[in-house]
Amino acid sequence: MFWKIFLFEVRYRFKRPATYAYFFVLFLFAFVSGIYGNSPASEKVFVNSAYAIGYFMIILSIFETLIASAVMGVPVYRDIEYRTKDYFFTYPITEKSYLLGRFLGSFVILIFISFGYHVGAWLGGPLGVLTGEVEPERFGPFILYHYIYNTLVLNIPNLFFTGTVFFALVALTRKIVVTYVGSVILFIGYLLANALTQDLDNKDLVDILDPYALTTYINATKYWTPSEQNITLIPLEGNFLWNRILWIGISLLLFAFTFFRFSFRSMLEVSSGKIKNEEAVERKGRSLSDLPVVQKVYSQSVYLRKLFRLGLLEFNNIIKDFYFIAILLAGVLFLFLDGWFGSPTFGTPSLPLTYYMLEVKDYNYIIFVFIIIIFYTGEVVHRDKSVNYANIADALPIPNWVVYGSKFLSLVLISFVLVNLVLVCGIFNQVIKGYFNFEFGMYFTDLYLIEFPEYLQLAMLAFLVHILINNKFIGHVVSIGIWVALFGLRNFAELNYNLFFYSYIPEYRISDMNGFGHFLKSITWFNVYWLSLGSIFLVIGNLFWNRGAETSFSTRWQLVKERFSGLPAAALTFFTILWIGSGIFIYYNMSVLNVYRTAKEGRKISADFEKSYKKFEFTVQPKVTDVKVNIDIFPEDRTTKSSGIFTIVNKSKQPIDSLILNVGSPIDHTTIESLTLDGDDLKLILNDEVNRFYIYKMPRTMQPGDTMKMEITMDARYKGFPNSGLGRQIVYNGTFFDLSIFPSFGYPGDPLNSDKDRKKYGLPKKDYTLPPQTDPHGLSNLLFNDDADYVTFEATISTDADQIAVAPGYLQKEWMKDGRKYYHYKMEGEMDLFFNISSARYAIHRDTWKGKNGEVVNIEIFHHPSHAYNIERYVKSVKASLDYYADNFKPYQYKQMRILEFPRYAGFAQSFPNTVPYTESFGWVADNSDPDDTDYTFYVTAHEVAHQWWGHQVTPSATRGANQISESMAEYSSLMVLQHEYGVDCMQNRLKYSLDRYLRGRAGEDKFEETLLENDSRSYVWYEKGSLVLYSLQDLLGEARLNSAFKKFIDTAAFRQHPPFATSREWYSYIQEATPDSLKYFIEDSFEKIALYENRITKAIAEPLKDNQYKVTMTVQTRKLYYDGLGKETGKGTGKDLIDIGIFTEDGKNDKGMIKKVPLYLKKHWLGEGEHIIKLVVQGKPVKAGIDPYNKLIDRIPDDNMKTVEEK
Amino acid sequence: MQLVIENLSKTYSNGVQALKNVSLTINQGMFGLLGPNGAGKSSLMRTIATLQEASSGSITLGNLDVLHQKHEVRKILGYLPQEFGVYPRVTAETMLDHIADLKGIVDKKQRKEIVQTLLEKVNLIQFRNKNLGTFSGGMKQRFGVAQALIGNPKLIIVDEPTAGLDPAERNRFYNLLSEIGENTIVILSTHIVEDVTNLCSNMAIICLGEVIAQGHPANLVESLQGKVWSRIIEKTELTIFRNSFQVISTQLKAGKTQIHVLSDIRPDEDFKPVEAGLEDVYFSKIAEKTDIVTM
Repeated sequence: MFWKIFLFEVRYRFKRPATYAYFFVLFLFAFVSGIYGNSPASEKVFVNSAYAIGYFMIILSIFETLIASAVMGVPVYRDIEYRTKDYFFTYPITEKSYLLGRFLGSFVILIFISFGYHVGAWLGGPLGVLTGEVEPERFGPFILYHYIYNTLVLNIPNLFFTGTVFFALVALTRKIVVTYVGSVILFIGYLLANALTQDLDNKDLVDILDPYALTTYINATKYWTPSEQNITLIPLEGNFLWNRILWIGISLLLFAFTFFRFSFRSMLEVSSGKIKNEEAVERKGRSLSDLPVVQKVYSQSVYLRKLFRLGLLEFNNIIKDFYFIAILLAGVLFLFLDGWFGSPTFGTPSLPLTYYMLEVKDYNYIIFVFIIIIFYTGEVVHRDKSVNYANIADALPIPNWVVYGSKFLSLVLISFVLVNLVLVCGIFNQVIKGYFNFEFGMYFTDLYLIEFPEYLQLAMLAFLVHILINNKFIGHVVSIGIWVALFGLRNFAELNYNLFFYSYIPEYRISDMNGFGHFLKSITWFNVYWLSLGSIFLVIGNLFWNRGAETSFSTRWQLVKERFSGLPAAALTFFTILWIGSGIFIYYNMSVLNVYRTAKEGRKISADFEKSYKKFEFTVQPKVTDVKVNIDIFPEDRTTKSSGIFTIVNKSKQPIDSLILNVGSPIDHTTIESLTLDGDDLKLILNDEVNRFYIYKMPRTMQPGDTMKMEITMDARYKGFPNSGLGRQIVYNGTFFDLSIFPSFGYPGDPLNSDKDRKKYGLPKKDYTLPPQTDPHGLSNLLFNDDADYVTFEATISTDADQIAVAPGYLQKEWMKDGRKYYHYKMEGEMDLFFNISSARYAIHRDTWKGKNGEVVNIEIFHHPSHAYNIERYVKSVKASLDYYADNFKPYQYKQMRILEFPRYAGFAQSFPNTVPYTESFGWVADNSDPDDTDYTFYVTAHEVAHQWWGHQVTPSATRGANQISESMAEYSSLMVLQHEYGVDCMQNRLKYSLDRYLRGRAGEDKFEETLLENDSRSYVWYEKGSLVLYSLQDLLGEARLNSAFKKFIDTAAFRQHPPFATSREWYSYIQEATPDSLKYFIEDSFEKIALYENRITKAIAEPLKDNQYKVTMTVQTRKLYYDGLGKETGKGTGKDLIDIGIFTEDGKNDKGMIKKVPLYLKKHWLGEGEHIIKLVVQGKPVKAGIDPYNKLIDRIPDDNMKTVEEK
Repeated sequence: MQLVIENLSKTYSNGVQALKNVSLTINQGMFGLLGPNGAGKSSLMRTIATLQEASSGSITLGNLDVLHQKHEVRKILGYLPQEFGVYPRVTAETMLDHIADLKGIVDKKQRKEIVQTLLEKVNLIQFRNKNLGTFSGGMKQRFGVAQALIGNPKLIIVDEPTAGLDPAERNRFYNLLSEIGENTIVILSTHIVEDVTNLCSNMAIICLGEVIAQGHPANLVESLQGKVWSRIIEKTELTIFRNSFQVISTQLKAGKTQIHVLSDIRPDEDFKPVEAGLEDVYFSKIAEKTDIVTM
């Protein structure tokens, strides 16, 4: 019996077109992404790597939730829907065979459908290679086992879970609507799990509780190197194993419950609750013909009133809907949680500023908004039809536009509620966090002028779709499909011309310094553009409004023609003119005033640029020795006029007869207005406006040693608005740009670095951006600017009267002229050619630092007036840094240290000579109320101040590895300052971020990992590995010993006037010198190789002795593995390494209120590869024990180094 | 006022021709539209009720062009569809009040009065505060009548109103309809002959989209008087009789088959003359169009 039902189900489903439609959707998804070679990992990981297959299987199974709800929900419901239950269950079949047959039959179909992905992937990839879309080396060998394994451990268990849920829901409740609800609940639960991962401590729990195992998979694989990702399948162990057991178990239990609970009887139950058709006592009433004659009014004003009343009625219908309330509550929950967690930096939260509260609307909430608007548009459009009331309603004397208008009005009201919830949640979050600076203007502008129109546009499109399609379910699918297609085109096909993407507007960012700034104009135009199109949709929707029984398109088209009269025609004309008109204006701004290029066009231009001009890479150019600039900033117009007198010297041994200038300024319109050499004009012999690359013939040849004065005037400005880009350099308040406002000499370097792109455009493979440490050209140029060695610098800057303009150097003079403010800065002595210009309405906080030798440094903090929260932290950090660096390295070279805030359009801090611009989002608004959170304001400031030594005193050469002298050293210096201020206990918290980023960085490597000595371009090596290695090194050698080596180095390298400039080898030689032979292994592993430890403790047992003494027996394992650049294991350590062994009692608190580890025992042990049993006697009660308990070493699994001690 | 339908045809997009050249003139009073399932009754009713387009032909109501002045027609229309739904969580009173409002009765007091009166009339007054979702089929049907009667309609269309009603309810329904004023056009579509017999002063029979007879029921019956003969036969003989006579209906009676035959003269001795009824008219007309087997 079971077999018959099973086979019938399978055969039936194989005849249904839906089965193939679902199959095809998955096929298409995999096929297209195969053709374009899409991959979740780096360029060095095969598109068909074991990792990618597993990842896609999971993503696929998440998407398949929807398919599972459709496929697994219907087998039982079918008998209800078609009323076959009324006789079907009278046949001699048992409930169990019925249920099992239907379930397994459908599940087989579900698995079949999921193979659409496999087939698509197998065909798409080869086709991509064949058509040249993807390079063949993006694919590894085809290994069937990888597909089988991932299907078995990931895809099928996930399908089994979702399938069982939907099957059980329908079988037990006999309602199909629960499958919708089920999908939404699953989805919400899933998002919630992801939201909780923000809290790193819950990692294990989330790993196990994620029904799709996506987080589990990501956590298990996040540190896999490219070569591991290619061949490694996720091992069925640990959290992953528990996850699978749990969810398969839950699915089985659920199925078993359904299996035993299900009965035909309940399927056949009729819902009662109807009033019995009781005989009312016949009453002799008035005759029908005596019905009062009523007065009927049909006027526009009555209709208008009806529109509002019907709209309110419809609105009430929606908000009373149980599912609406459920979805909305879930959305609000996320709105709240996202606002609550915020986006911490180094684990430290920010104050709940209004723009943070506003931005969370785009995290998870927007998904709920989409669901609500699309779903409820379908509901209101089809409401009368779906309850069959339309037969009555459509014959009532109400014009179409009233009914239609009321339905749209209800969605307008819903949208309005939705935007206001952001406000309510934001204020609520702010209040409970004790932040009372409510900026309603910012809330209203963002929510009512930007967000609200967006929701309306969503509703307008959904309306049109639902009316045209005239089928609720297909309407939902098409509505969602449109958004998925737009999203896909933008993200996979790299198309982003906003005029073509309904409801999209250029990116904007709110800043406290600059408000909505220059963005409001483009957003307003886009809103006019999209609302006009939306209104056109509305008018068309009204014409197509489905009234009556007609469903065929041709008849509806007839009706449209009939309804198309003066008013709709006028409205259509009006909105079309508005739409096209605003479209033309936007086009004029984005494509005429500005240049729009697709990503592909951009890469092509970059490739051609390299092909044309690479030959000038080593063409000798003069060096600047003195700079005097005059810069006028006009913040309101977003323009600048700059002129500069550059003294240039031919420091080479060859004559120079032409100047090669490239304008690298990120300001869209930067032009050279005039150029003279010693007062003479130059002849332009190459004029490439596209690449802003120019070659001038010099009026006379520059012989070696010759000096000339180059005078140049530049115009840099923004015009209109572009398609994308924040245009952050010149803004109304918070201008910040650097020396690139002037041209630089020579070929600026290859713009295209990705191996994949270079191959595609026929460029040679490029492993390095810098030459080796022995390269004479590299050695004779500086890393950050090869146009000069050291220069003297002076700048006169003018800006609006209410702004303060700042450049490196000391302020000589400030004055007013013609209603503008002028500032003259001059640098004392020499500096590298690296300056910034900033201008804003600043408040200034001043302080001074006095050194041991009586030197005085003025500290100035230029900040946004309302951002005064953490000023003291900056000051404290500058002082602590100056103390430490002056003591341990060399005196500070300037008499001033300045920190400047700039708007959060960019997220970095950058150290210029005596001047550090610092983004608004970094530290100024950090919430340091929890002492255990890293004081990153303090830490990052120390890093930037350290660059005054490492970067500005020691200027690295343009060779491989040299940037470690700047960045790794700045990291090391700031770590030391941090440790001195906050104690050793804050270091582990800080360094765990470095370790995580280092391990993730190498996992996402697009070329190959390099060592600290050779790395030229990887920030995860120079920041993160640099931090970890140098911190460990001072721990091994002693801080003083290491610092004295650095002192020796800086003494010879600081302000070095002549090549060879400093290299990583030179830096390393001082480290080697300071390192005793016994520890040479460590520096070789750390600087010359890629080595990772695998340390862990497996057992810790304490045996109480007398006098509060305990004998602790620990079992620890240690192993050190070597890797090549692609992350392939090449060998393991053979010698013994010095590693911390520690036993700790209960945590205490240090004087800053931070949690502090209290060691009963902490010593370094020499340990070789393998397992070690260590027995120690300690005084005091041991609580935890571990190997490398402070995570000083680079360890792939840092969490297993500590263990709670068990008492025997 | 007169409702004049001229050469009305309707072909659906799937090729089915629901109405073929229908021409009818309907005066004030009760008009019955009789036809088997699928005859095109509902298509015709929906078209008159402004819910469906015609492929060709015209409908005029007084001086209104029904096919194009839909909005004007709706102002004087009362329509009870064959199948209709209600918002389950709304009370009868609220719903009727809402519909009255939509029908243009803006005065609240008037609205309340008419709703009360109608609820009384259709015997739902004691359930006025009950949600419509709890109503039984008969109650829902009465609610349907009430909503159709709101606003003194000049044209009332009731589509298959008695389907699914038990005999008592059907009776009540007849009484209700019969009270509708004489100066209103009421079109009642049904496949139950008795409905027409009981209520209508004029009627038409429609089959396969065509009007095959129209007139006063009594006149139609009169035309068959003396031509209908009845005989009891064995079931197995049916085919023989069909071949020899114009059998218009067959009916089982105590295990035997009774047939009605249309013939100007008495076919033979075994046939007994019977009084012709509307049913005989109906079956004889339909038999001309289709092969009905009433077993």
